[in-house]
Amino acid sequence: MSMGFDGFGSSYFDGDRPLSEEVSLHIANQNLQIGLDDGNTLFWPIKDIRVLPDTAGKQGFVLRLTTDPVARLFATDRSLIAQLPNATRRAPPKGRGKLAFWALAAVAAVALQILVLVPLLADRLAVFIPPEGERALGKATFEQIRKALDETGLEPLPVCENPTGVDALEQMREALSAGSDPAEEISLFVLDHEMVNAFALPGGFVVLFRGLIDQAENPDEVAAVLAHEIGHVTSRDPTRHALRSAGSIGVLGLLFGDFAGGTAVLFLTERLISANYSQQAETDADTFAYTTLEGANVSPAALGTMFERLREKYGDGNRLISHFLSHPRLSQRIDNARAAADPSRDFAPILDDAQWSALKAICG
Amino acid sequence: MKDAALTFPTTDDRGLPVEFVGKRGALFWLALKTGFLTVITFGFYRFWMKTRLRRWFWSAIRPGGHPMEYVGDPFEKLLGFFIAVVILTFYIGIINLVLMFVSFSVFSSASAGYLASFAGVIPLWFYARYRARRYVLARTRWRGVRFGLEKGAWGYAWRALVHWAVTILTIGLLWPRMTFFLEKYITDRTYFGSMRLHQGGHWAMLYRAAIPFILSILILGAGAVWLFWWDPVVVSSDVTIEGISRSFDEMMNGGEPAFPVVGMERLLIFPLGLAGLLYGAIHYRFVSKRLMANHKTAEGITVSSHLSGPRVVSIYVLGSFIAYLFLMLGIMGLVVLAVVNLGPSSIMGIETGQYGLGFDIPRAVWLMLLASVYLTVFLMWNVLYSTFVTFPLMRHMAKTLSLPQRYGLQSISQRDRDSFAEAEGFAEALDLGAAI
Repeated sequence: MSMGFDGFGSSYFDGDRPLSEEVSLHIANQNLQIGLDDGNTLFWPIKDIRVLPDTAGKQGFVLRLTTDPVARLFATDRSLIAQLPNATRRAPPKGRGKLAFWALAAVAAVALQILVLVPLLADRLAVFIPPEGERALGKATFEQIRKALDETGLEPLPVCENPTGVDALEQMREALSAGSDPAEEISLFVLDHEMVNAFALPGGFVVLFRGLIDQAENPDEVAAVLAHEIGHVTSRDPTRHALRSAGSIGVLGLLFGDFAGGTAVLFLTERLISANYSQQAETDADTFAYTTLEGANVSPAALGTMFERLREKYGDGNRLISHFLSHPRLSQRIDNARAAADPSRDFAPILDDAQWSALKAICG
Repeated sequence: MKDAALTFPTTDDRGLPVEFVGKRGALFWLALKTGFLTVITFGFYRFWMKTRLRRWFWSAIRPGGHPMEYVGDPFEKLLGFFIAVVILTFYIGIINLVLMFVSFSVFSSASAGYLASFAGVIPLWFYARYRARRYVLARTRWRGVRFGLEKGAWGYAWRALVHWAVTILTIGLLWPRMTFFLEKYITDRTYFGSMRLHQGGHWAMLYRAAIPFILSILILGAGAVWLFWWDPVVVSSDVTIEGISRSFDEMMNGGEPAFPVVGMERLLIFPLGLAGLLYGAIHYRFVSKRLMANHKTAEGITVSSHLSGPRVVSIYVLGSFIAYLFLMLGIMGLVVLAVVNLGPSSIMGIETGQYGLGFDIPRAVWLMLLASVYLTVFLMWNVLYSTFVTFPLMRHMAKTLSLPQRYGLQSISQRDRDSFAEAEGFAEALDLGAAI
């Protein structure tokens, strides 16, 4: 039995020359018979015929044969499609092994880069950056942060400079550095912001927020945080981190492309990675803080007390959040700090009451 | 021979016309569907999205009623992307890190490093652009016959660098020369089947396309001379920036300006001049394409374009307006959501490699919500841009194109397949293949 279709406006292209040939179209014996002008007839098995996908408009569609990569039939009679059993079936895949190989290679290259090469190189190179370079970098970052945290939009966030408060802070810093070598120059600042936090930047910049001093109940807690941040400075964590980011951000940008601005994914992923490498850095900085505090005759448990205050305020959070915030879980750190304190020893506060009041009023 | 369309004179004096079929609504749904899949697959579906959108656009463009065909394969693109990642990851990661190190060590600042790493990517960028063009042409067919582009990406990259240097040194006066010769480099290496294209004409003809741009610059320059020197708006001997900003503030508050001012309304010349500049830039980009299209030939084939500069600009302005409107609404919603739920500091608190003491706030849920709104806004931006800019632009460019002479098609035969392992991977990885 033969079924005829309207061949008006249909064209056959042989895949060699860009010449349109008028055709007559029939289906018989499971074959599409394409009758050409010169009397020849082509037989396309209907099970091997596909319709080109995602074709715009209703004015005509294009058929191809899975066994011939180039020949095309442009047809207009849509009732023809209904007779093709595999019209929309995909062509059998090819070259998937190669794809899998390169996919693995890409994943391996990126992993090697981000997890091994970049950190390795950053750690090696961080030591060779001259102090002036580090300071310039730290200063630039500090100014950026001051601008970013400002909410009035006019001037950078003010640095607290009440002279008696600065003296008290200086006193604290000297007490902490009593035991260790003064190789690294520390520049200490207090920013007038209610955030309960502190951070270190390349070049020995250590920054406390007013909120942290307000939350602390005694000077030892502030000293503990300070010692922790000095620990980061001593092991040059901020510089390493800056170098690492320079290397890994570009690579991640490559991977995620710009499907949606990309920045959000990039930011979160970068946080994840840095959290991974800084867990160890945090623990090291804590350990450094215990020793320094003991050297200054302050109980290491003060760090734990400070953390506890934070936990009361913000909660311990689940594992996901603590991962994102690039710090080991607080409870763990509180326990460690308590354990580090020698119970038989008699510790003294790092500042006297007058100095502590002065420090509390540093932003006044 | 058999193909009447190629030899018989058509009733249309433009020759063989190019039609454009396909409805805006169909494209909208295709873009929305594929864009959504892209977002939920963290961007990996973008290779499929791009392929499907190209298939759609190509099949909509029908010279002489027969659709163009795009045969690019998403898997091929994915493979190319992986290859490019393997190669570029070492280049970008290690080079960036070393550049940053040198920049900190030698110049004590990060900006030198950023500049150097940016400069290092520029030749790669031109290389990738040519490779991407080669890939797209190699996967484009019409009447069953392949297009193609010869190898020569590095030749293109260094020529582009030299042309840019010349253009910058001549403060843009020789820009048309760059446009012309870079396009000629590509056109002269383009094939349709066995037939090679040729770019004729002279680069100086492109100055015609730059007329609106040049006029706008002249108006701005003349306006500046008129308003600040010839017949100054501010009649005062000691003009300071502070004084200007103060009098501006006072006028905003409904008061009298501190300086005696003559003919304030003449300042309108500047926004008008800047709008003219924008118009001129788009006009140049597309009208130069038209002028060059009219000088593209091959044996027995000529091309003719009647593209209208003002029409293209109005498409851009209207389409971008619609897309930006949505983007603005989305971003406003995002900001409101962020402020309401995370506090005002969430907008500012972008951490830059600092070591905080750290604490936990249970806000993962809100972050997720924000992220999804963010992604949706960008998804809609892409969808609307495809629908209201790319679509009308393609349609206008197609419909104004025709082939007055085309008997040469009869002597063309098929060309070999250009197997192209890395596809447009470099362009994809370097983010310059964002356009269709």
